[in-house]
Amino acid sequence: MEVPEKLEFLSKFIKKAYSLKPNRVVLEFDRENVRELFKLLLENLGETGFYLAVIEGTDFPDKNMFRLDYYVITHPDREVYVFRTWLPRDNPHIDTVVDFIPAAYSGECETYDLLGIVFDGNKYLKRGFFVPKDVYEKGVYPLRKEFKLRKGV
Amino acid sequence: MGREKLISYSPWLAHFNTGACNGCDIEVLAALTPLYDPERFGVKLAPSIRYADILVVTGAVTKKAGERLKRIYEQMPNPKYVIAVGACACDGGVFRGSYSVFEGVDKVIPVDIYVPGCPPRPEAILDAIVSLVLKLRKGG
Amino acid sequence: MGVTKVVEIPITLEIPVGPQHPALHEPLMLKVYADGEDVIRVDINTGYNHRGVEKLCEKNNFYQNIFLCGRVCGICNTVHANCYTRAVEYVLDIDPPRRAKYLRVLAMELERIHSHMIINAIMAEILGFDTLFMYIMRDREKIMKAKEILTGNRVLADYMMIGGVRRDVDEVKKDRIKKLLDSIEPDVRYYKKVFEEDDTILKRLVDVGVIKPRDITLHGLLGPTARGSGIEIDVRAGDRYDAYDEVPFNVVVRKEMDSWARMMVRWEETLESINMCRYVLEHLPSDGPAVPDERRLPRRFPEGESFARVEAPRGELTYYVYSVGKQIPYRVKIRTPSFNNIINSGFTYIGYSIADVPVILTSYDPCIACMERAVVIDLESGVRKLVSLRTIVKGGV
Repeated sequence: MEVPEKLEFLSKFIKKAYSLKPNRVVLEFDRENVRELFKLLLENLGETGFYLAVIEGTDFPDKNMFRLDYYVITHPDREVYVFRTWLPRDNPHIDTVVDFIPAAYSGECETYDLLGIVFDGNKYLKRGFFVPKDVYEKGVYPLRKEFKLRKGV
Repeated sequence: MGREKLISYSPWLAHFNTGACNGCDIEVLAALTPLYDPERFGVKLAPSIRYADILVVTGAVTKKAGERLKRIYEQMPNPKYVIAVGACACDGGVFRGSYSVFEGVDKVIPVDIYVPGCPPRPEAILDAIVSLVLKLRKGG
Repeated sequence: MGVTKVVEIPITLEIPVGPQHPALHEPLMLKVYADGEDVIRVDINTGYNHRGVEKLCEKNNFYQNIFLCGRVCGICNTVHANCYTRAVEYVLDIDPPRRAKYLRVLAMELERIHSHMIINAIMAEILGFDTLFMYIMRDREKIMKAKEILTGNRVLADYMMIGGVRRDVDEVKKDRIKKLLDSIEPDVRYYKKVFEEDDTILKRLVDVGVIKPRDITLHGLLGPTARGSGIEIDVRAGDRYDAYDEVPFNVVVRKEMDSWARMMVRWEETLESINMCRYVLEHLPSDGPAVPDERRLPRRFPEGESFARVEAPRGELTYYVYSVGKQIPYRVKIRTPSFNNIINSGFTYIGYSIADVPVILTSYDPCIACMERAVVIDLESGVRKLVSLRTIVKGGV
């Protein structure tokens, strides 16, 4: 699949493009380029040209990777683009974008607390953003696949 | 023994949400509006927990809210009663098995009346309060 | 200029917290730092409620999750169930008949009406207008009756099923719902007029909590909060899901950017929703059964992922579902509108007075009904006291 015309300026960062049901476009990039990518989005689409809707992390222990998705929705043409990157499970670090895209604050803090992905440069990250004390005191992240709920319910 | 009978003439409610989806809360709120007319039983919302006779609790008790619930229960003067409203407050509801809830209010404080439902109708909530009041009038 | 007062406001929000959150109650604490009466900083402290819905979703099968996801928020449970159901239908490549889609729109629009009415009633109550609060709540009961006729329950509808809806309507039900809609429309017009003309309301809402359009998109604010500042984002017009490609409606946008604009957007949307409900009732197609045959529902779920969006009364709600071919999902991600609207909006209180903070907060539509007591810490005298939000709004700190 091709990089959509509207996002031509990002082609140098996009490694793969494919679709996600029902009609969204997924664009994979490397984690080192996350700040450049969003800065270019701001420059080319403008401050009111898009908003960061969701930051979502998923654990893939069989691939030994975390997958991180940034869902961006453009305005006013209302297209949904998913910027997807993969992080190694033993070193889940990625640069933060919260200093120039403040909408990332809620998503980055939540993903850190639940999954353990560290957004370097975000000084607001803390455990206990959502997770109760008795869970984070053990140093575990609830959304990781090794964390099991109790059986027999 | 006489104290229970006294408060049964005009029991004041305090309401506390311990992590509910707000479905039970809006039915408790609706039960306090004119259509259901709780004031004919002398029932109204107390201005502060120290004036309350009956504590109405909704929600599957999350761990952080559970500590506050205990503190609020201790601040209430005797005699005090607790009504657990909704399936989540009775035994955890759909959230049984989650790592961050106590499953039900009775795991934290003693409960007098359980009102099942998801959410229970305002009439059912008022019915629970009235049965408690009638029980008190008969002498506990 | 230093901090002289700290006000801690616990509120209940419909925020998905942690691996499975939805609907928080007392999950959020606004910590307001003030110099005299002026707000200089607001911290949003989360972590009070977390129920772990996302983790529970990975334990239940796809069908059980419809009930779990509906209980993320009781006030907008229909849109949660709808968004999850549609995400699963995208994975399965199922398209329900048009009759079912029209009935889904009817249920969601009735929910929008009741949700907008309750937040406007709460705004009136916070401003001290007890009578208006009671009147709006009384008239809202008509919509709860209409919801009960359609879905069988007042609040938690559990109306959505994969492939359609759970109950159909006949002529008698359509007639009763239409009568209730006709009787509530003059009430809503009256309340809208009150909000446009009443001096007290205008003084407390106009020019309070102004957010510029660039701040809306940079901070990811959604729903009526965004539409009150001129940013026209509405998922119904964007994705045209269910029957929104056939039911006509206008996206309500205002340019004033303040709290008053946000409440007026909600009243105008209520009137739009009443018209949409009428259109649905008059043009209900008969192209197929609205209720799918439960025995024919799929047992095997193919591999695939999907991302569904819905316009909840508070804004854009999104569900991401990832299936790996088993009977339980691998990942479900829920991002509710209040997650963005409340957590990312700490900057909007700065420069206003403490008395304006509950007003601005209510204009973002949190579920503020129950926990109404705030702790005010006066740093100069060292006094801590419990104050109701109403007293803060009247300027009593």
